[in-house]
Amino acid sequence: MKLFDNNFKEILTAQIIFVFIGLIAGTILAVYTDKILLIPGMLILLPGFLEMKGNIGGTLSSRITSGLFLGVINKNNIKTKIIKTNLLASFCLVIIISTILGLIAFIFNYLLLKEIIYEIILIPILASILSNSIELPLGIFATFYLFKKGHDPSNIMGPFIASLGDITSIVSLLVVMVFI
Amino acid sequence: MNNLNKHLKTIQNLKRKKYHPIIHEVHKTHKISKKTLFYVKEYGPHTHAFKTIIKESIKILLFASLISSFGGIALEQIKPFFISLFPLIILLPVLNGMLGNYGTIISSKISTLIHEGKIKNSKNLEIKVLFNELILISIITTFLSVTLAFLISLIFGYPVTLLLFLKIMLITLIDIFFIMIILFSIAIFSGLYFYKKKEDPNNFLIPITTSIADFGNMVLLFLLIILFF
Repeated sequence: MKLFDNNFKEILTAQIIFVFIGLIAGTILAVYTDKILLIPGMLILLPGFLEMKGNIGGTLSSRITSGLFLGVINKNNIKTKIIKTNLLASFCLVIIISTILGLIAFIFNYLLLKEIIYEIILIPILASILSNSIELPLGIFATFYLFKKGHDPSNIMGPFIASLGDITSIVSLLVVMVFI
Repeated sequence: MNNLNKHLKTIQNLKRKKYHPIIHEVHKTHKISKKTLFYVKEYGPHTHAFKTIIKESIKILLFASLISSFGGIALEQIKPFFISLFPLIILLPVLNGMLGNYGTIISSKISTLIHEGKIKNSKNLEIKVLFNELILISIITTFLSVTLAFLISLIFGYPVTLLLFLKIMLITLIDIFFIMIILFSIAIFSGLYFYKKKEDPNNFLIPITTSIADFGNMVLLFLLIILFF
């Protein structure tokens, strides 16, 4: 069993692409630190907020990929009930989880920092609505597109959703904070 | 065809964990794979797909969010100092994402090995090769990401020193190495545990490993920053 096999090359290539996209997200975060990270509790909120996108968007894409491979979902018809239900359920999950993340940050702010900041609940909800309005439909379109082109979306969609999610999440957090 | 539709409707109405001989019958008679029948049962027309998705995902997502948030608490304690380290802020989403990706890869590969019956414990050649591959890839990507983060910092006028570069490089390498060991251990032991409980490890390992990667990353960063600065 060789160390530098195809597996190694595939993972390394995907990770290098991810590093570049992650650095864009990190640079936005670093440049706008005064807008994003200076709000108490943001470092409690941020890891879960970034992770949630990959978990929900990734599983949505994975469910659709399974349906496409099994022939239960028609590759030429995206506007079916099964797709709409999946999209709606994922959107609801995003709102539920972002509300809980906001509440956790709010509670810890109160317990550890003795500060009451209601915005910390509102920020993740609004930011997740904004970012997922772009990310989830784009994820579905990308899954269909890749499948139609003969690729296995499972190999590409995970890192794609996670990377796209990092950028849309940070930008949407920034947009929401500017308006709040 | 009418007979098939009738059978598919019966399958859709079965409770999630309930096995019914009709699944085997439809599989044999109509040559439809069991995976397809399972998918039709869970998400097909006239099923409560919305309820199924929410119900099955919510617990593990809540668990993942809680674990990730706990990691952030550690870093929140040293926030004023942390946000003064411009290159480390640039690296934060990279590290979180990179470790999350490793968590996904490890979970997926180990789930497959468990399904194939190749893992009885951690002493497996394929696991050793995967570990070595991921360690080597992480060293390469760490060098790349830290160097680029410092270049970006220079462009934005952040004062960069060689000592700071070496400290952050070392912090990142130690962080990734330790978390990789934790991820492998958790994926193997919890994967075998879920498999023994007749559950598919695929459904559990990814949220578990990615959230532990987040939590571990934040806590280790907190400890290493205190140690090195």
